[in-house]
Amino acid sequence: MGLPLFNSMTDPGPNFFEYMQSVGHQPFGQGAMDEQAHATTVIAVRCNQGVVMVADRQATAAYVASRDIRKIEAADRFTAMAISGSAARGIQFIRIAQLSFEHYEKMTSSILSLEGKANFLSPIIQNNNFNSPLYVVPMLAGFDPNHNTGRIFEYDGAGGCYERSDFNVIGSGTQFAEGALRLGFRPDLDLEEALELAALALYEAGDNDPSTGGPDFVRHIYPIMVTLTKDGFQEIEGDAVGERFRRINDRRAESRGIAGGQLR
Amino acid sequence: MSNSFYVNPEQLVNDKAQFAQKGISRGKSIIAAIYDQGVLMLGENTSASLNKISEIYDRIAFAGVGKYNEFDRLREAGIRWADNTGYVYSREDVDARALANFYAQHIGDVFSEGMKPLEVEILVSQLGNELRPTKIYRVAYEGTISDEPLFAVVGGEAEEVKRRFALTTSSVTSLVETVKSAVLALTGPDRTLAVEDLEVGILEDKGSRRTFQRLSDDRVRELLS
Repeated sequence: MGLPLFNSMTDPGPNFFEYMQSVGHQPFGQGAMDEQAHATTVIAVRCNQGVVMVADRQATAAYVASRDIRKIEAADRFTAMAISGSAARGIQFIRIAQLSFEHYEKMTSSILSLEGKANFLSPIIQNNNFNSPLYVVPMLAGFDPNHNTGRIFEYDGAGGCYERSDFNVIGSGTQFAEGALRLGFRPDLDLEEALELAALALYEAGDNDPSTGGPDFVRHIYPIMVTLTKDGFQEIEGDAVGERFRRINDRRAESRGIAGGQLR
Repeated sequence: MSNSFYVNPEQLVNDKAQFAQKGISRGKSIIAAIYDQGVLMLGENTSASLNKISEIYDRIAFAGVGKYNEFDRLREAGIRWADNTGYVYSREDVDARALANFYAQHIGDVFSEGMKPLEVEILVSQLGNELRPTKIYRVAYEGTISDEPLFAVVGGEAEEVKRRFALTTSSVTSLVETVKSAVLALTGPDRTLAVEDLEVGILEDKGSRRTFQRLSDDRVRELLS
């Protein structure tokens, strides 16, 4: 491949995905396999400082395909991308999102707005999910420096993009996590309260959904927890996450697995 | 049979070269210089938004002089090429030498085949690591590529600026010293430059993947004081 030069009529501009298509890359081509790895539950909760996110580490394909997959990645300094559905497509998706945002930034010397990023992903999701059984449902969340607040964008299978004012869950553990979140969410949660609520919700999902992995105390593999605040994307260190889940686990062990009418 | 008249190729090349040189020397110079922690790119630019110095990739930066629309298109193509190469292979496989070669080929092709040569000169800098050396490549208007050992100057009175810079800097020094020498080389003895009229970018390892950084006016003022 030589230098990718275009004339002013055919120039794809700062859109990397459009450029890829213009030179014949089809990163989301058709697929027919049905027995491939699936990634599961990711939770995002808004709080007064931004957004917190937590995800389990398991990928399944009728068996445990991976115990330490990462379903949340930084898309750029203030934004996180999370995936559920086909692991192959999801990981591809994260790469393209990361690259597209950075590409736009370098080409134009300006950073895409958070809403701009969310909208950019819609047609790509639609294109994949309408043409391939390798479904992917991502989530975009971040701290919006233009509006000084945390924001969460969810997508449906058709690529529709919806902003959430409270919390969002994607993946097979959704209904179990959502139950806990609905009971525990308040609009004035602080960062620590949001982290604890998200962890509890993931614990619920891991407890009830066979595809969602809980904390793995045997292998010391713990969920990924991140915060998105004015300081950007920050991942909480593994030992601290393990400690948090151990406390939840201990409380549950005391009551023999029964939550007992409260979030604990 | 073509019905064009015979033109002496030497005459043609000379005419084109003169034309391109005229366009390039009308603008301002840009200096790229290696300092002890990275690579500095510094030029005179009265516009704060129409940049001449830009990030291409994690460890690669670009500077262009001459016609803005011509070198900006090359800058965009470079970013596309780098992002695509890194996507298809891996981020480690994106190499400034390969990019500088593509620029040289394209600029050379336009010079020999086009109606009008590109009125641009380009610098491609790379911050080294275990895999690659720190490098400055210069691509001239007719497609000549050169690998400059310590520093390079393009645009404006490049030869004169080069001579002045070489007088003050003979080896790799700190960023502060290099910026001071570069500004002195640009202005010469009879002229001063406002910080606002300088565009400064560096490639320096500060722990993150992307090493390009645009220096603010305040930071440049601090370096020059």
